[in-house]
Amino acid sequence: MLPLARLIDRALGPVNGPLETGRSPPFWLIFLGVVAVLVIAPSFLSRYELLNFSNFLTNIFLALGLCLIWGYAGILSLGQSAFLGLGGYAYGVVGINLIEAHGNTWLALLAGLGFPVLVAALLGWIMFYARLKGVYVAILMLVVTLLIETFLNQTAGQGWSIGLAHLGGNNGLGRFSGVIREPPSLTLGFSADAMMIFGGKTRAFYYLIVGLGVVSYLGLRALVNSRLGHVLVAIREDPDRTETLGYDVRRLQLGVFCLSALLASLSGILYVSWGNFITPNVFGVYYNILPVIWVAVAGRKSLTATVLGAVFLVWLSQKLAIQGDIAFVVLGFILLGGMMLLPEGVITGIGERIGRLFDRLGIGAATRGGRHGG
Amino acid sequence: MAAEPLLETRAVSKRFGGVQAVSEVSLKLAPGELRCIIGPNGAGKSTLFKLLLGSIAPDEGTIHFQGRDVTRLQPHERAHLGIGVKFQNLAVYNALTVRHNLLLPLRHQFGSREVEDEIARLLARLNLVGTEDRLVGSLAHGQKQWLAIGMALAMRPKLLLLDEPTAGMGTEESSATGALIQAVTAEGVGAIVVEHDMAFVRELKAPVTVLHYGRVFAEGSFAAIEAHEEVRRIYLGAARSERPRRLRNRQP
Repeated sequence: MLPLARLIDRALGPVNGPLETGRSPPFWLIFLGVVAVLVIAPSFLSRYELLNFSNFLTNIFLALGLCLIWGYAGILSLGQSAFLGLGGYAYGVVGINLIEAHGNTWLALLAGLGFPVLVAALLGWIMFYARLKGVYVAILMLVVTLLIETFLNQTAGQGWSIGLAHLGGNNGLGRFSGVIREPPSLTLGFSADAMMIFGGKTRAFYYLIVGLGVVSYLGLRALVNSRLGHVLVAIREDPDRTETLGYDVRRLQLGVFCLSALLASLSGILYVSWGNFITPNVFGVYYNILPVIWVAVAGRKSLTATVLGAVFLVWLSQKLAIQGDIAFVVLGFILLGGMMLLPEGVITGIGERIGRLFDRLGIGAATRGGRHGG
Repeated sequence: MAAEPLLETRAVSKRFGGVQAVSEVSLKLAPGELRCIIGPNGAGKSTLFKLLLGSIAPDEGTIHFQGRDVTRLQPHERAHLGIGVKFQNLAVYNALTVRHNLLLPLRHQFGSREVEDEIARLLARLNLVGTEDRLVGSLAHGQKQWLAIGMALAMRPKLLLLDEPTAGMGTEESSATGALIQAVTAEGVGAIVVEHDMAFVRELKAPVTVLHYGRVFAEGSFAAIEAHEEVRRIYLGAARSERPRRLRNRQP
């Protein structure tokens, strides 16, 4: 092997492994290409397109978190969007109260990240220490998120305020009259005259999302290919067995569940920062099933597939929505067909076929089923 | 002074709703001792197995391991004390390589350099040399069973709990498995084998405990149990109805 190739191989060691599709040199070249395109995108996209694209990208953290707990650790949650909502609401409420006094949103950011993780820790403790399994976790999470939705929908009265923030019933947090304040965009910086405001229309917001996205993606790849990642997969395949090998499955499930909540809450905070509003809809069935569909259709056992699937399917939904309701039926059939033909995920399936083609051409071990390359 | 038993259960009982699955079972196992637990379907073998490994807790009675009360300890805690388990089903991780399967238990006790020697040693012992980089999903059935036993051994247990270790194996593979279990116990590891394949139990030449309706029905050498009139009646009667299942298990 060329010294350069060996150097690259070593550098990619932590993020390459048998538990993720795409670990060949061509894959990483394409990855670099995609990042480069993302970096220069603001120079060729219109203002509206960039705004829209930023919105799509906010979802990838939610999807990555679900991919981690479902695809790798075997925990399906049908209420993952609840953590997005809790993150958005917590960020919004604290932000509304403190933005004028502080001039920044550091505390709101902390609340937005911390509150959902706290809730996840409590729920996870109940679920995993009671050894709830499979479908029961999924249903319990769905019940929790619907309860939150029901509760928030009846907070229209003036009594439902936290400090300056009015919860606003099914209108949610946002500016609907002069009296009601809207949640601020992320305002971060270390001195009053050097504050960066990450509003949805700004390039700063776009670059923040792209940066966080790349870091999260690479970080999670390193996680799933680490020792801990192997234990997570072992828990997915057989939790009882994994316990007898000396691993406290309950604690590990709780930990990874909290991490997924953290990722979801990041989506929620970014969403509020983007549009300065959030409604109880995000706790509803539709918003909780969507991420499950993205991850399932794209390929739940692959972080790469999840990111691509989430962005593509949100884009497709929006394109089809312009055509009216019939478009959702079309979308439904596309998803159904994809899952029947490639049950492990459309993108994963295509990725494996490309990998096998590369193998045949001798361009390196790219397939999931191939030999362990790092 | 008599040596301290490796494992001791004192009148453990477990009830599921209206069913008394295990009733006042008291067992003693010395270090290096091999014991078979047999009984017809529904005799409480699986429940007793779960009580021993810790995935369920008894309603009454206590379980002691090396003199320590482990009744309320979780499976992972018992694993660290030295209780290795091999389940009846194929409890290997198909999505990981043979190497990574073995690393899961090995990483608790070995540094990165010693672990390689340990993997090589286990692979040799399990007749799995050359398979380390293969995904477990691609192994043959018997190889998977052996890997599962190997993962239990990788915990360096003092007690090995084996639930039907030869399920689905051919005669030759069964014999080799029996030899492996005997070799391990000869090294001082206690072992409890839950089994209903009488041919395999005969081959192990170990003392046998018979469970029936959750109680210890009889105990003794295999010859004594085989000659036991009552055991023949309850066990062979049930064994006849189990024959189709065993035939199915025999298929590759």
